[in-house]
Amino acid sequence: MLPKVGFIGLGVMGKPMAMNLIKNGYSLRVYGRRKEAMAPLVEAGAVACGSAEEAARGCDVIFTMVTTTRDVQEVVLGERGVIAGARPGAIVVDMGTISPAATRAIAARLAEAGIEALDAPVSGGGIGAISGTLSIMVGGKPEIFERVNPLFSCMGKNIVHIGPNGAGQVAKACNQMVMLIALQGLAEAFAFARKSGLDSARVYEALSGGAAQSRILEVLGKRMVERNYDPGIEARLHYKDIQIVLDEAHTLGMALPGTALVTQMFNALIGRGGGNQDSSQLVEVIEAMSKNLL
Amino acid sequence: MSINVGFIGLGIMGKPMALNLIKSGYPLWVYGRRVESMAPLTAAGAHACASPEEAARTADITFFMVSDTQDVEQVILGPKGVLSGAQPGAIVVDMSTISPVATRSLAARLMESGIEMLDAPVSGGETGAVNGALSLMVGGKPEVFIRVKPLFEQMGKKIVHVGANGAGQATKACNQIVASLTIEGVAEAFTFARRNGVDPGRVREALLGGFANSRILEVHGQRMLDHDFRPGFKVRLHQKDLRIVMETAHQMGIALPGSALVAQHLNALIGSGEGELDSSALVQVIERLNEGK
Repeated sequence: MLPKVGFIGLGVMGKPMAMNLIKNGYSLRVYGRRKEAMAPLVEAGAVACGSAEEAARGCDVIFTMVTTTRDVQEVVLGERGVIAGARPGAIVVDMGTISPAATRAIAARLAEAGIEALDAPVSGGGIGAISGTLSIMVGGKPEIFERVNPLFSCMGKNIVHIGPNGAGQVAKACNQMVMLIALQGLAEAFAFARKSGLDSARVYEALSGGAAQSRILEVLGKRMVERNYDPGIEARLHYKDIQIVLDEAHTLGMALPGTALVTQMFNALIGRGGGNQDSSQLVEVIEAMSKNLL
Repeated sequence: MSINVGFIGLGIMGKPMALNLIKSGYPLWVYGRRVESMAPLTAAGAHACASPEEAARTADITFFMVSDTQDVEQVILGPKGVLSGAQPGAIVVDMSTISPVATRSLAARLMESGIEMLDAPVSGGETGAVNGALSLMVGGKPEVFIRVKPLFEQMGKKIVHVGANGAGQATKACNQIVASLTIEGVAEAFTFARRNGVDPGRVREALLGGFANSRILEVHGQRMLDHDFRPGFKVRLHQKDLRIVMETAHQMGIALPGSALVAQHLNALIGSGEGELDSSALVQVIERLNEGK
């Protein structure tokens, strides 16, 4: 008998992830803040609920896919939240990208109510969510990970159990640090190339396949060359993610100079209204800094 | 005509500030989260209250001196908070160092209930508070500033009205940005000097006469030379203030690359257990960066 599943948060990521679970035979109770978001899932066989509490009722595993730390706290621990509806022994799996410290606190609070928790943030964007090829980085008890792994396999390909509660969020933070500092490098390189009078498409070609090769060069570098900033991933999400890393460094007491600088670049990007476009726009922030005044 | 005064937050800064108001003859209604914190004030004649609401109820002007943005929000908007007790026409003065964005929002909320607000963050530390010699940067309406000015004068020496609500906090943030980057600059310069075989003491002397001169080169520079990091202004508090600056910058979409870097260096000092040292201890982070220890 397949576990009964609740799914809360039906946006760009949540909707296709929930769909993949339904396609694999799971029966779903769903809740999304916007009623229209629930419609396609109801058509596919899910039960629409009026709150996170309702969606959690009777479920063995409850997924949340909402945006900020505060959203997760509200949806899981708030009034009419998951904690009000979930039965002891149920498992709550948060797949958003939020603060590691808050994640551990939420897990502790749920444990008091006899509810298990995993943090399982993802990488791979909307495309990965639709095609079920997300990378999933999981924190929590090994036996709980094992029980949820079959469900993860419906949504992702590279699924790694990293460590205890919070470890998934830390791994995701590492992912964002590597990716976004690489993005900074790309932005500076292409701005430098252009300022030197080069064709950035040729530079892109030269860098591909060599030591500077990366997925970020491949995908976001191309957008920089073409100056095509259709998301992709909206810059406001990276802007949110990278501040989480800095908040954690503040608490841990460690210096992350590169991360701190890239966060400022994202601040500037948001400040100039680029939040809803792809993060490859970062190249224009670098170009703006050194603008030749004629 | 007697003005009734409320004072909330009776810690290292709040206690001496409240005492200075009592010494000048103002009747005070006080509230501190820890009951013991009220004792020295009731001994001096203040009325102890059970909540911020109670302290604000009789007061014409209510001051706060608490730790952080969430604390101010709690004191004003929380259960038994100032908003529940203050009368229309009353004035609320936040002297804590918090986010300018939150400040503007709180001022608007209070205005809906007919309550005026000033933000008046301070600098000068415990010594300044005790001696009534703090520097105040004030934001809010001019006519409200004028009404509170005589009370400010009991707590501080340099009192500047910088602009509308939030301007005081923004100015305090600017103070932190300039001070932080200057300390960083001096730390890097001295490290550079040493590596070049030059006595940083001589460098400091030479620089004092020119464009690189600053109070920080004078004071923090000397502490760096002597490796004497007795505070002063503690790393822990500096990290907190700069965190507020960086969170505000993030919220508002403002890039502050230099400040962001200095914030990381302060993180490193906290991580190595040096939060109680003076900010001039920053030089150690640069030294460690360059010596691989």
